[in-house]
Amino acid sequence: MIAAAKTRTFTVALVGNPNTGKSTLFSGLVGVHQHVGNYPGVTVEKKTGRTSFAGLRFEVIDLPGLYSLAPRSRDEMVVVDLLLGRQRGAAVVDAVVCIVDACNLERNFYLVSQVLELGLPVVLALNMLDIAERRGIRIDAARLRRQLGVPVVPIQANRRIGLPRLKAVLADVAAGAAGDIVESAGKAHPLQRMGLSSGVPLNILPDRCLRCEATVRPEDCGEDTAAMAPDAARVHSTPLPDEFEAEVALLESELAEESNRAAGGPLPRCLVRRLLLDTNGYLQRTLLDDSDGRWASRLAAARERLADAGSPVPAVETSARYDWARRVLDGVVVEPGHYKTTPSDRIDRVLTHRFFGTLIFAAVMLIVFQSVFVWARPAMEWIDTLKEATGGWVEMQMAEGALRSLMVKGVIGGVGAVLMFLPQILVLFAFLALLEDCGYMARTAYLMDRMMARVGLSGKSFIPLLSSFACAVPGIMAARVIENERDRLTTILVAPLLTCSARLPIYAMLIAAFIPAHSYLGGLLNLQGLTLAGLYLLGIVTAMIFATVFKRTLLRGETPPFVMELPGYKWPSPRTVFMRMAERGWVFVRCAGTLILLVSILVWAALYFPHDPNATHQEQQRNSYLGRAGRVIEPVVRPLGWDWRIGCAVIASLPARELVVATMGVMYNMEYEPDSDHRRSSEKLRQATWDGTDRPVYNVPVALSIMVFFALCAQCAATLAVIRRETNSWRWPAFTFSYMTALAYAAAFVTYQVGTWIAG
Amino acid sequence: MKHTPPAKVIPLWNLSEGSCARIARVLGPSDHVHRLDEFGLRGGTKIEMFRPGNPCIVRLSGNKVCLRTDGLLEVLVEPM
Repeated sequence: MIAAAKTRTFTVALVGNPNTGKSTLFSGLVGVHQHVGNYPGVTVEKKTGRTSFAGLRFEVIDLPGLYSLAPRSRDEMVVVDLLLGRQRGAAVVDAVVCIVDACNLERNFYLVSQVLELGLPVVLALNMLDIAERRGIRIDAARLRRQLGVPVVPIQANRRIGLPRLKAVLADVAAGAAGDIVESAGKAHPLQRMGLSSGVPLNILPDRCLRCEATVRPEDCGEDTAAMAPDAARVHSTPLPDEFEAEVALLESELAEESNRAAGGPLPRCLVRRLLLDTNGYLQRTLLDDSDGRWASRLAAARERLADAGSPVPAVETSARYDWARRVLDGVVVEPGHYKTTPSDRIDRVLTHRFFGTLIFAAVMLIVFQSVFVWARPAMEWIDTLKEATGGWVEMQMAEGALRSLMVKGVIGGVGAVLMFLPQILVLFAFLALLEDCGYMARTAYLMDRMMARVGLSGKSFIPLLSSFACAVPGIMAARVIENERDRLTTILVAPLLTCSARLPIYAMLIAAFIPAHSYLGGLLNLQGLTLAGLYLLGIVTAMIFATVFKRTLLRGETPPFVMELPGYKWPSPRTVFMRMAERGWVFVRCAGTLILLVSILVWAALYFPHDPNATHQEQQRNSYLGRAGRVIEPVVRPLGWDWRIGCAVIASLPARELVVATMGVMYNMEYEPDSDHRRSSEKLRQATWDGTDRPVYNVPVALSIMVFFALCAQCAATLAVIRRETNSWRWPAFTFSYMTALAYAAAFVTYQVGTWIAG
Repeated sequence: MKHTPPAKVIPLWNLSEGSCARIARVLGPSDHVHRLDEFGLRGGTKIEMFRPGNPCIVRLSGNKVCLRTDGLLEVLVEPM
């Protein structure tokens, strides 16, 4: 092994179709040493992990599942840029592990052919051979290795079978890559470099050949290296026809001329090819400065010439790549005459049934939600107790003053109120990961698709939206499964409208205080319950309306046809479920520790300063910056039937909605105990009067107006922070906050005015 | 030589549950057609209708795929 290899870290990218076991392989390779982040400026999840084997250090990047390397959006472009070493701030990829599903090699090889074109060393991980065998598909891996010309390692990612072999092959590839540092100036084709470093004579490397099997020890493969050469020689870097490559070469030279004049470097050949193939125009807009439209006309002319030559764009790509896949897979795959009915099929007969399937789905969701509320409760209470105890302890340890107040009320109180939701998020994500890992999630998307299509979304938006009834934070995070950018954004934007559990304390307090407990239908229905149901319905209907509106205006665009693979059912892996749950939980905790902490401190400061040590609680509130602001904005909130205290409480609840209950408690000098009888606080609320009068502040229209406001407002720093994280921009949280606040204000106004008119 | 009757081409949504077919053509905007191509739903591919409707579920070389075309695309198949 070369010494240089020992000191550097090799970057390996995992690429593959969705549902090929890529993430399982990633976990198997790096274990718990994972890091999740975002690439700058896009919403693509950046999942990396460090590991070392064979005495070498590796950084493994798990890229999102893809069917094709044809970028149609900024998110998809990141993957291509990363593989080409064009992504700023990311390490240059040394090798690619391409994972394929043995049950569907032809389709998987479409992506493989694109990956091979990148010119990077590739190792093919052949996954799920066991399942293929059970389906009657036979695969000759040795022949595949010969015909493809890159190392092929059969693995079973979920059982970690074959991973040591994969690691050994990767270590060899890395050693070859390190060899080139020593042996060549680094200008040669990387694969040829590896050929050199492992001592394979160059003359068996064809000109444009993509082989790096030379980096695999023949004893690993049980193959004779020399025997591979004649077959491997047939494999070219691109299967696209010569007339197409001629147009690419022409375009490349034209672009090179241009780039000599401009500052940027020349485009890699793969991107020039993509530029010609991308009829959607995304790459043209991104890569070329085409203010005078000359590139558009050149591309159009090239495409026209190709169409005349019988290679129409973009169909030429698919036909060429599938032809290549068929050639490479010739004699490798023996498919059964007809597919046996698998256990997955039998399960699907029931689970995708229009009636029974929907019924089972409803039952599953009921269990999930029941668990989210029941199982998470003890842990939530425990966090609450811990929060109180920590607050009490800090209060005893520190001298009275601004710092103590900041610690107790700002940091512990504010962040604690948000962290209370961590158990719910963990339980919900454990369930979602379980459903995803066993393969059921795709079926729920199928079942709900018809319904979601009516508001312009697809079935994939259903689970994120449903999760938002527990908490919008996991709902928004769950929206990552939606590949379509517009659908995903729409889902994220309307998710906070659904009634999350943080709204319940507000509803509970106000309904108990102001809604009469009338019963109807012999006690079956009750006005208090109906009010609560009405508030839930308000959220759902508004979310549906806004989803339709967003999809028709702001996020309008051609929706691609909805295609989704339904993976076979399998037993979920506890490891995968745990990792996914821990990952999401950590994202939330980090959010709470940064942005939410900041907002909590700001709100605390607004309530604490200017500080008068002799003032009573209420006087302090009234004279604080927040209190003053409340009185300034009183004319604004008056049409909603609110006094300045309610206005203050609403501002103070910015970190988390349920803080409004605590703040109102402080404002009206009442002790708020979360699970105690609401009667005492209700009494205090009823007694509250407008400053200097006997006129009570609260009546039914006011209570309804507050509840409607909270049903629709975006008073939740956690949600806004997560939107910022998931969309990687401040634009969307700002937009969400503005539209929801405006909507909440308008709805509260209408509620109060109409309510007063009816009551009056 | 065996006589083969002229193949009858029908829209995918007309294919009944459990019947097999070969995709004859996918008609529609080229970018959408390309997307389905990349997904493996392309002319010449053998499919089997698992659950008809919109969205429907078809079996595609051992895997199952859910598809909703929304009138953007017309998938024409040749029943086998």
